[in-house]
Parts: sequence; C-alpha cells; structure tokens
Amino acid sequence: MAKIKFIEFSGKEHDVEIANGTSIMQAALDENVRGIVGDCGGSCSCATCHIYVDESWLDKIEVKSEMEEILLEEVCDPQDNSRLSCQIIVSDALDGMVLRVPEKQF
Amino acid sequence: MSESNATGEVYWDPYRPDINLDPYPYFKRLREQAPLYYNKEYDFYALSRFDDINKYFSDTTTFSSARSDIMEFIKEDDLEIPDGMFIWHDPPRHTSYRNIVTRVFTPRRMNELESKIRAYCARCLDPMIGETNFNFIDDFGAQLPGGVIGMLLGIPDEDRDIIRDRIDNSLRTESGKPMESSQSSYQGEGFEDYVEWRKNNPSNDLMTDLLNAEFTDPDGVKRKLTTEEVLIFINVIAGAGNETTSRLIGWTGKLLGDHPDQRRQIAKDLSLVPAAIEEILRCEPPGPSVARYVTKDVEIHGQIVPAGAVMQFILSSANRDESRFADGEKFNIHREGSPHITFGRGVHACLGAALARVEGRVGLEEMLKRFPDWELDMANAEMSASSTTRGWDSLPAFLR
Ligand code: HEM
Ligand code: FES
Repeated sequence: MAKIKFIEFSGKEHDVEIANGTSIMQAALDENVRGIVGDCGGSCSCATCHIYVDESWLDKIEVKSEMEEILLEEVCDPQDNSRLSCQIIVSDALDGMVLRVPEKQF
Repeated sequence: MSESNATGEVYWDPYRPDINLDPYPYFKRLREQAPLYYNKEYDFYALSRFDDINKYFSDTTTFSSARSDIMEFIKEDDLEIPDGMFIWHDPPRHTSYRNIVTRVFTPRRMNELESKIRAYCARCLDPMIGETNFNFIDDFGAQLPGGVIGMLLGIPDEDRDIIRDRIDNSLRTESGKPMESSQSSYQGEGFEDYVEWRKNNPSNDLMTDLLNAEFTDPDGVKRKLTTEEVLIFINVIAGAGNETTSRLIGWTGKLLGDHPDQRRQIAKDLSLVPAAIEEILRCEPPGPSVARYVTKDVEIHGQIVPAGAVMQFILSSANRDESRFADGEKFNIHREGSPHITFGRGVHACLGAALARVEGRVGLEEMLKRFPDWELDMANAEMSASSTTRGWDSLPAFLR
C-alpha cells in the first residue's frame, strides 16, 4: 500500500491510497484523475498514460523497458522525469510519491 | 417502433437495419438484463458492460484474434491469415509485428502532420465556401482519411480514391445480411506497384520505413519485412484507418447538427475541440463492436461460454454504461471522468488512434472556421450496411 499524490494540469490534487501491484495508470483511471487516457490498457503501446514523476522518486521505480524508452520520446512535451504510468507498479517503496499530469496526451 | 423494442425484449441482431439505426435501447437492456448475451439465430455471445469488456479484452489466451476480429470470418472453416496481418495475430506473433509500427504512429509524430492535414482539409473545404449544400461524407469524410494515409505512405493524390473504394467495398455487407465470408478484407491488391517503385526510390515516408525496418520475427530471426509483408502492413493500415475515420467525420456532422448549442460553444472557443472529439467518439464509435474466438470454456456471469464460440465485445454499449458514464446516453462535450473504449483496449488497441484524433480535431476546426452553422437534411441521409463500421454513407446538410 502506498499513498500517492496526483496533481492534474489544472492544479487539482488527488491523494490516493493504492494497493501494491496496481499500476499508476489504472489507479489514476479508477480515481478519475483528468488527463490520463490509457487507450492500450497498459500494454505499453499507446503512450497516452504519460506522467511526470517527482525527481526524488525516479530511482525508486523499476527501470524503463526498451519500448517505454522509445515511446517516451514520442509523447507530447517529454521531460527527464517522464514515465508511462502503466509501467509504474505500486509497492510500499513508493509511499509518498508525487506525480504530475501533463497538459495533454495527444 | 419495432416489436422487440416495444415489448422490451432482450435482443440484438447486428444485421437488422432498423436496429442499426438506433441500437442503444437494445444495448441498455443487454447491459441490465443479459450482461452475457447469447444470440441463437447467428450463434454468438456478446458482452456489453464496460467492466466486462475492459477485463476480458486483456485475456488474449481465452479471447483470441488469431481467427480475425470479425464474426463472419471467425466462423469460416478454412480461414487463412498470412504472417504480418497483425490485427489478426495473438501475442507473441502479434507483438513481433506490431512493435515495428508502434513507434511510428505515436502522438508526437501524428501531431507533426497537423499542418499538412490542415492544408488537405482546406483543399477539400475551400471549394464549398459559398455553397448552400454540403455532404459530410462525399465532400469531406470520404476524402480526408484516404488522403492522409496516402500522404503517410507517399502515394500520389490522384490514385488515392481508387484504392479507397476498393478497400471499402471489400468490407461492405448487403443490407440485413451477414458479410460474405469469401470477401478478402485487408488483402486487396493495388499497392504493389508503389512498393516496387519505392524500393528503388526511397523517400521520407512510411512505405520506405517499412521496407527498411529490421525486426525480430516470430521465429526469433532478425530480418527485414518481405515485400508481401510490407503489402499486408499497408493494407491493414489503410483498411483499418479509412472507413473508420470517415465515419468519425460523419458522426461529427450528425452530433453537432443535433446539438447546435454545443456546436456554437465550440465554434466560439476552439479549445473545446479535443474534448468534443472524445465525446463524439464515445457516443458514436465508428467501429461499434469487435469479435474474438473463444479458445477454451470460460465462465462468465455464472454461465459457461464454450470453446469455439464467437464473443462480440460491444464497445458502443460499454461507452454508455451508466456505472462508468453518468447520463451515458447524453451527448455532452463538457463531460468529465472516464475515457471511452472506442479504440479498443489491450495489445490490439487502435494503432491509429493518435492519427484519427488529429484528423478529427483538425477536420472539425477547419469546418467550423468556414461553416459554423448547418442544418442536417436527414430525409436524404443514408446509414451504412457494414459489419465492421457503423455510420453515414451520405450525410447532406444545408449550410447557413
Ligand atoms: C475513428 C477512427 C478509428 C476507430 C474508431 C478505430 C478503431 C479501432 C479498434 C476498435 C481497434 C481494435 C480492433 C480489435 O481489438 O480487434 C483498432 C485497431 C487498429 N486500428 Fe484503428 N480505428 C480508427 C482509426 C484508425 C486509423 C486512422 C488507423 C491507421 C492509420 C488505424 C489502424 C488500426 C490498426 C493497424 C489496428 C490493429 C492494431 C493491432 O491489432 O495491434 N485505425 N482500431
Ligand atoms: S496505457 Fe498505453 S502505454 Fe500506458
């Protein structure tokens, strides 16, 4: 279980308790966080679940697969702290993480 | 009102033109009374609730695409699906082919086409300025998607209409009847000459990319695509991206024609366009349902669906499921909350979603800039008869 803060582009915040094993993309959809789309349901192919991860948490997340690396060059407004939220799986280690939703996914 | 509609019978016939005109009351009853529906006449099962579709789509072992995603083809005994027709492969074969194009159809690359797409829209729409009659399909919807795919592939403008007509005809059904299983969708010919020519005249286009792409094939061999595979890829992309996007443009004309108040809000503030396109996609999915082959017995809602059955996933029902979408039957561009499921889900989720969205968005902006006001001429509109898409073959309107 981890408590995670989503900050929408509008500034609206959601503090969410998420069970281990759930993807951040799924949790965002369940919570109605605006701006996460997730067309491919977590298959790492649509690049519509882009999110910015607070720098201090980046090294606590599983490393990117080759496909995620490729897709992260293809999202709107990529940054050094960009990730695909469907590839971030919640664990106790992520308790307190802060995530920002980009302006748009497509 | 038809009899079954009046009595509230739980029923859905995908081939009946009267139901096809407004299937939504039927879908609502399926969701409420028969979340696992069985149709005896055509021998298929159907899922209609959002959560069910979302859940079972990801189980590609039980719900296979390897016999296609179209009911009539799934039932065919001697169906042959060539390598590279990835829309009809299961993982890992699917993964190995799809990965080649996943990196090409991304949001960034598709948005980069925006100015070219805008110019193409202008070419379709400028001649209509000053006219009083406009047909959303003939004058725009039938042209833009093929033009854009041709643009991507590097095919000369003058040859695009011929190719589009050939593909669309191969996916059409006779009104009220199942599709002829002998029809060879996605396998049509017509691109060979270009592929041969491109081999010797490489350029900055998708065809050249496909000819040069290196990938690891399903047998683990690192190689390039064969010419046949390149042709199959092009046919899959053109077949999946043409009529669907044309239907999106038709539904845009229809829904905003039916809701002039919302249309005026968008015309006044074009920043509402992306949300409007998402709401149009939710309300009227151009591809309303996709089918899967059931590989093993599976229990759903207390009932066994046997191996060998056909399962329809009714996306257009899921999009109006009240448990996800409050006031789901209502068209509301200001809607907040869950994204729709119009582009499918899971490994087969639409490859061209980012492209369709740019076309829908730019197309609507360019229409509204020229014709902010229209009234539909429904007496002369025609609904399609196709097993794979639903929408208008002709949608005339009076421009104001
Ligand atoms: C509004 C327009 C569109 C709609 C509603 C739509 C809908 C869909 C749906 C529902 C699927 C999933 C099929 C399944 O699961 O069996 C799909 C797959 C696909 N679409 Fe689209 N599509 C659209 C536009 C496009 C465009 C413009 C292209 C290409 C340029 C395209 C290319 C594809 C391809 C190649 C697949 C197969 C993906 C795979 O199996 O991995 N589509 N589309
Ligand atoms: S949900 Fe599609 S890439 Fe993350």
